[in-house]
Amino acid sequence: MMNLDLIFPEIFLSLAIMSLLMIGVFKKNSEKLVYNLSTIILVILLALVINLFSIDETFVFNESYKIDNLSIFMKSLIIMVAIFVMISSFSYVKSLNILKIEYPILILSSILGMMIMISSNDLIIFYLGLELQSLALYVLASFNRDNILSSESGLKYFVLSALSSGLLLYGCSLVYGFSGSTNFTTIATTSSNIEYGVTFGLVFIIVGLAFKISAVPFHMWAPDVYQGSPTSVTLFFSALPKAAALTVFIRFLYIPFVNLIEQWQTILIFISLASMLFGAIAAIGQLNLKRLIAYSSIGHMGYALAGLATGTNQGIQSSVTYISIYLVMTLAFFSCLFMLRKKSIFYEKIEDLSGLSSNHPILSISLLIVLFSLAGIPPLAGFFAKFYIFMAVIEQSMYFLAIVGLLSTVVAAFYYLRLIKIIYFDDPKGKFETDHYFGLKVTLAISTGILALYFIYPGILNELVSKIIII
Amino acid sequence: MIAHAVFFYLFSFIAIVSAIMVTAARNTVHSVFFLILDFISISCLFIMIGAEFLGMIMLIVYVGAVAVLFLFVVMMLNVAQQKNQWFGSAKSSSHIPVGLLVSFIIFFELIIVVGGWKYKPDLLNSSTIIISQTTTNTHSLGNVLYTDYIHLFQISGMILLVAMIGAIVLTFREREGLKRQSYIKQISRERKEGVQIIDVPSNKGVKIDV
Repeated sequence: MMNLDLIFPEIFLSLAIMSLLMIGVFKKNSEKLVYNLSTIILVILLALVINLFSIDETFVFNESYKIDNLSIFMKSLIIMVAIFVMISSFSYVKSLNILKIEYPILILSSILGMMIMISSNDLIIFYLGLELQSLALYVLASFNRDNILSSESGLKYFVLSALSSGLLLYGCSLVYGFSGSTNFTTIATTSSNIEYGVTFGLVFIIVGLAFKISAVPFHMWAPDVYQGSPTSVTLFFSALPKAAALTVFIRFLYIPFVNLIEQWQTILIFISLASMLFGAIAAIGQLNLKRLIAYSSIGHMGYALAGLATGTNQGIQSSVTYISIYLVMTLAFFSCLFMLRKKSIFYEKIEDLSGLSSNHPILSISLLIVLFSLAGIPPLAGFFAKFYIFMAVIEQSMYFLAIVGLLSTVVAAFYYLRLIKIIYFDDPKGKFETDHYFGLKVTLAISTGILALYFIYPGILNELVSKIIII
Repeated sequence: MIAHAVFFYLFSFIAIVSAIMVTAARNTVHSVFFLILDFISISCLFIMIGAEFLGMIMLIVYVGAVAVLFLFVVMMLNVAQQKNQWFGSAKSSSHIPVGLLVSFIIFFELIIVVGGWKYKPDLLNSSTIIISQTTTNTHSLGNVLYTDYIHLFQISGMILLVAMIGAIVLTFREREGLKRQSYIKQISRERKEGVQIIDVPSNKGVKIDV
């Protein structure tokens, strides 16, 4: 008998998805009920996942599914952020008239896909998890189907993602062909750096994964998709899939391809450099806040990959810390974005922020904290995230990467500071509504609180991360 | 053995002729029917060499789903009457040379594959695979699919479920003002709901001057 209790969270989530579907189909007007139930299900799921914490590395299903502390940490992080995504975007979803029973169900199935991806120790199961996750995201991107931008973003995401999945599969088949196994652990023992086929496959797999986390030069879908999708969906896929894909990146680079470090290190350094520079420079001319955050997330992924490129334990730890803080920053930024509402129309242009401070001092302060944190200014959480990355990079004496990273931080600080200038020093442009949904206020308070007060005890995340990642 | 050969040549002949007729038929609906005939005879060939699972899947998937879908498309696009001019037309079509080139390349690739298999038998080393003569293909597939790969099977099921939900969400529109017949409502209707007796007072109606 297998250890079925180890995959109990996944089984619970699948059954919950199907029962929610039944409730939604057979009970009339149950949209709100299904939405609230799925939030409760996520809370239960979080408890179930955390319950598994601090077990030894265990494999189930013929060593194709791995439960270790890294996967449990990333799963709980993703579920925690997903709970806040659900409660903060409820009012937005409702006022955009896209509150259907399928909306929370698709979000849950996407989370199921991410959980499978994170735990995968096998090429096939990794691919299936990835497809489950992204198939739900394509539908969510075009969920507001009467809006032409939303439909366009869904179609664009679908076509480009299918292309990258093709490349990924080609890479997987090459790796399978040359190493003789789909299992990560077996690939690590059979593949050595003499075999060019495995190296080829590795390159294709990195391309596919870089597409999923929108790193340069595979970023072209991100700005359009971010802008066109409903903002609640943009929040969802600017945060969660990136954390899942980054975990898979760690798994791929440090389990099956750990012998090929000379080959992938150069590629990762290039992707990281290009993403940092492009994210910093291309965001300057943007007028839409969602497009801006798309470019900003491209840049942030560059920093996270810089940690991975070092090839050390410390580098991976700094990457995981970075992605955790990035998720909190994204959550806080989008909570602010949900608050720019006037007569149930949501504003997302930069000029709409003009003079926000005179009418909405509290919202402006939180936006100030978020933007300073995104720019990496001490003593906010974003500074610590970048600090650990640069420390890991410099320790490996990769000075060029560190210098370019620091320079692009300076360039990126320009547009974050410009937003703050617009908020505080431009002419006010009228009031927004202030009667916000309770969950939205709570999300904003908690996320900005974490960002602002992280410096009091920065070791808390570090100690946790250094305990879970031992390679 | 003779019967085997007879059936093999019969099905192969039907398969080749119907494959030619798919491209040569003037009516597109006829082309689709020849395609179905082709699929059926090829699945018979599969069953004859003992690959009964492949043959049945071919029948279910290709004949039952794909070919019917083709028929729907042909009927919906109304291209049935379009005369195609691949063969026997005075104007030579411009895509015949390209088609010939592609088919020659495929032909040479086939020759290379078959030649390698014939003259270098250890090129494709399949002798290590133990093929049991007692269990059928379906049994042995089921043996691994529901044991070693059960989780992959279940996840694929979830993917298909999500795909179905997605297709419904993106295309289904509830029509306004649709009047549906409800048997329960009709049967449970009573006299007092449907009939209203109005006491009409006499001499209070419309007055008509005579």
